[in-house]
Amino acid sequence: MTGTHWDISWHRSIGRDTFWTPAHVDIYLCGILAGLACGYLILSTTWDRDSPLRKSSVALWGFRGPLGAFISAWGGIAMLTSAPFDDWWHSAYGLDVRIISPPHMILASGIMAVHLGALILILGQMNRADGDQRTRLLRLYLYVGGMILVCLTVLQMELIYRTSMHTMRTYRLVAMVVPLVFAAIARGSGYRWAATWVAGVYTVFVLLMSWILPLFPAEPKLGPVLHPLHQFTPPEFPLLLIVPALVLDLMWQRTARWGLWKQATISGFVFLAVFAAVQWPFASFLMSPAARNRFFGAIFFGYYADPNSLYMRYLFRPVESGALFWKELAWAIVAAIATTRLGFTAGNWMRRVRR
Amino acid sequence: MKILAALLLAVAAPLYSHVGSPDVFYEGSAGPYRLLVTVRPPQVIPGVAEVEIRSVGPGVEKVRVAPLRLTAAAQFSPVPDEMRRSKDDPQFFSGTVWLMSTGSWKVLVQAEGKPGKGEIAVPVPALSTRVMGMQTSLAAILIPLCLVLVLGLAAIASASAREAELEPGQMPDARRIRRSRIVMAVVLAGTCGVLVLGNSWWSAEAGDYSRIVYKPLQLKAAVQDGNHLLLTLDDPGWLNRRVDDLLPDHGHLMHLFIVNLPRMDQVWHLHPERGREPETFAQTLPTMAAGQYALFADVVHANGIAETATTRIELSTIDGAKLEGDDAASGPPIIPKGGYNPDVAELPGGYRMLWERSAVRIRARQPYEFRFRLVDAQGADAKDVELYMGMQGHAAFVKDDGSVFAHVHPSGSVAAATLALTTPLTTPDDPHAMHNMAHGGLPAQVTFPYGLPQPGIYRIFVQMKRGGEIMTGMFNASVEN
Repeated sequence: MTGTHWDISWHRSIGRDTFWTPAHVDIYLCGILAGLACGYLILSTTWDRDSPLRKSSVALWGFRGPLGAFISAWGGIAMLTSAPFDDWWHSAYGLDVRIISPPHMILASGIMAVHLGALILILGQMNRADGDQRTRLLRLYLYVGGMILVCLTVLQMELIYRTSMHTMRTYRLVAMVVPLVFAAIARGSGYRWAATWVAGVYTVFVLLMSWILPLFPAEPKLGPVLHPLHQFTPPEFPLLLIVPALVLDLMWQRTARWGLWKQATISGFVFLAVFAAVQWPFASFLMSPAARNRFFGAIFFGYYADPNSLYMRYLFRPVESGALFWKELAWAIVAAIATTRLGFTAGNWMRRVRR
Repeated sequence: MKILAALLLAVAAPLYSHVGSPDVFYEGSAGPYRLLVTVRPPQVIPGVAEVEIRSVGPGVEKVRVAPLRLTAAAQFSPVPDEMRRSKDDPQFFSGTVWLMSTGSWKVLVQAEGKPGKGEIAVPVPALSTRVMGMQTSLAAILIPLCLVLVLGLAAIASASAREAELEPGQMPDARRIRRSRIVMAVVLAGTCGVLVLGNSWWSAEAGDYSRIVYKPLQLKAAVQDGNHLLLTLDDPGWLNRRVDDLLPDHGHLMHLFIVNLPRMDQVWHLHPERGREPETFAQTLPTMAAGQYALFADVVHANGIAETATTRIELSTIDGAKLEGDDAASGPPIIPKGGYNPDVAELPGGYRMLWERSAVRIRARQPYEFRFRLVDAQGADAKDVELYMGMQGHAAFVKDDGSVFAHVHPSGSVAAATLALTTPLTTPDDPHAMHNMAHGGLPAQVTFPYGLPQPGIYRIFVQMKRGGEIMTGMFNASVEN
C-alpha cells in the first residue's frame, strides 16, 4: 500500500510517470513477492510429502497448500496481468491518471487478494494455535486487517475529498466499505478491540504517509500548473474511523448474544451516527486555518488544483437538498447494516478456517 | 470477449492541419539561437509527443522543453525538462512532452548557451487520431491469464468450501464435496457476471474515447453559373467544433489549393469568400481545362486548431475570370529550351526558380530546409521580390496519390493564425522576411522547414511574388524510407 499511496501522490505532484517509477516497482514487487512466497509454499507442500503443512492444506488442480497461499498467488497473477493490460489501455485510450479504470480494478483486486490471502494464511494458523503464538498471529492478523481497510479507502479517495464531507454521499460511500472490514475482522478473531486496532493501523499508516511524503521534493512535469509545489502531495488526514470502531467494539462486547440481524441493524445505525458525529465537525476543522499546517496537511494540493475551486478555497460542496439528502441517508443506513451483516457472515466463516 | 472485439477495431490515418502530415516543423529564433524544431504528436491523447531540435548555428549548450495549453500564460508552465544532447551531433537535441488533453498546445522551448538565453513557443495540435486494437501477441498472453484467473477463483472458492474448515488430516465428506461443487458453480456464474459488467464498462470507456477521436471536416464542392465554385464545410460532429469561428489566416478565412489530376502539374491558390451561411464559401474560378481536380481547403479555428478539408471535383471547361488579389495559378508547365533539369522550374518572363537542395536523398519524416531561389533571365537574383500575403513564400507539398498535402511557410508547417495566438513568445512567422532584406527589396531566396511524412513521389509547388506578379515553381521530390 506504500506503493499505491506513493503512486497517487506522484500523479498529484509530478503528474507524469513511466512504468518503471519507484512507486510502480514497489506495487508490482509486492505482487511478485506474494506470488513467489506463496508459489514456494504451494510447491513445497505439494512435492514434499513430509511437509508439516500438508495435513493442513487444501487441494487445487493437483497442487496442495494453505488456502491463503492460493488466494495470494491468485492476487499476484492478477496484479501481473494488470500490468500489460494497463500499458495497452494507456496506448489505446491515452495516458489517463484516473484511479478507477478496468486495468486498475484488476490491479486493485489483485492487491486485495494478496491481502486477503495473507489474512487467511494467518487465520488458518491462528485458529489452530494458542498462547503466545496465537497472540503474535493475532497482531499480524489485525495489521493485515488494517491494511485491507487502507486498500479499500484508497479506492474511494477521489470520491471523498474533504470538500464533499458535508454531503451524505460521502457517508454512504464509507458505509459501503468500512463496516464490512470492522465486522469481519472483529468477528473472525473474537478479539474485543479488533475494530479499534484495525482503525488504528489504518490511521497510523495514512498519517505516516501524509507526514512522510511531503518531506521529499517533487516538481510538476505536466501543465497547466495551477498550484506550484515543491514536494510530494500527501493523502488527506485520515478519516476518524477510530471513533466509531471503538464504539462498535464496546457495543459488540455487550451484544454478543444478540441475533446477527439485530446486531447488524444496531451496529449500522451506530457506525453511521458516530462517524458522522465526529467526521462532520472535523471536516469543518480541516477547512479552518488551524488545519493549514503539516500535521493536518490542509496546506497540500495537487499541481492541477484550481485556485478558484471549492477545494482550494476551503469550501464545502453544498449538502444534498430535499429528497436527495434523505435518499442518500437511507442508502447509507441500508449499506451500513448490510455490510455489517455481511462482515459478520464472513467473520463467522473466518473463525472456522483451519487450513 | 472484449479483447477479441478490440482486435477487430480499425486503425485510422492521422488527418488534420494538412492531410496525412501530422508532424509539426517550425523554424524560429530563441534569443540568439536559430532552432529547427520538430514535434511528433502522439496518436492518442493523453499521450507523449516526441520533440527534436536542431540548432542551425553553434552555441546552444542546453535546451529545455515544457508543454502548455496554447493560450495559457507561461506562469502555468510545468518545470521544463532538459533535452538529451546527441553525442554525435552536439547541435541536435531530443526529448518528450506529455500532452494531456485534446486541443491546441504549445511546446515551450528554452535554449541556453554562452551567448545568453532565448525562448520560443511551438504550437502543436493534440488530437486523438487512432482507434487501436489489441495486438494478437498481447491477446495471446492476456486471454490465458484471464482464464486462469476466472477458473482459479472458482477453484479456490470450491477448495475453500470443501476443506478450509476441516481439522488437519481430516478428509472432506460427500456433503462438503457436493457443497464445494455448488460454490464453484455459483462463483463461476458470479465471475462471468462480473466479466459481463466489466465488458460493458470497457465498451462505455471505448465509446467515450471514440467521441474524442478526431473527425475531419468534410468538404462539398459544386459549380454553378459556369464558373462559380460553391464550397460547403460539413462538420461530421466532433467535440464542440464550430465552423463559424474561423480566424483569418494571412487575411483570408480559407486558403484553397486546387491541383489538376492525374498530372498534378498545375496548381491554383485561391481564397474563397464566406457565403451567407458560416459553413459556405464561394469562389469565382479562373479559366480551367476540363478534367478532375483535387481540392484542399485550409482553415484555422479560433482555438488555433488548423484543418484541411479535401474533396475532388470533375469540371467541364471553365471560361473563367482573371485572377485578382492574392489568388494565383501556376499556369501550364513551360518546357525548357535546353535539357530538362528537375531542380529548375521555368517561369514566365524568362524567370526561373531553382531548388537548392540541402540533401541528395530525402528520407521520410526527417526535417529538411527546402531552399529555393528566384532568378531572372540572366541568372541573377530577382531584385523586386515582395511579400506574398505577409510571407516571403508559400509552398504546397502534395503526394502523387493525394494522400499527403501540406501548406508550408518559411516558419514551418504551423498556420500563421495559430502562431499569432502564441504571442508574445513566438517570433514573427516569417523568420527570413525582415532580417535578410537585401538592398531595396527582399532576398530572392526562400526556405521552408518541413519533413515529408511518407516515402513516395511528391510535387512541391513554391510561390513567390516579384514585381506584383505571383510566380509558381513546380518540383518533384522522391522520398525514401
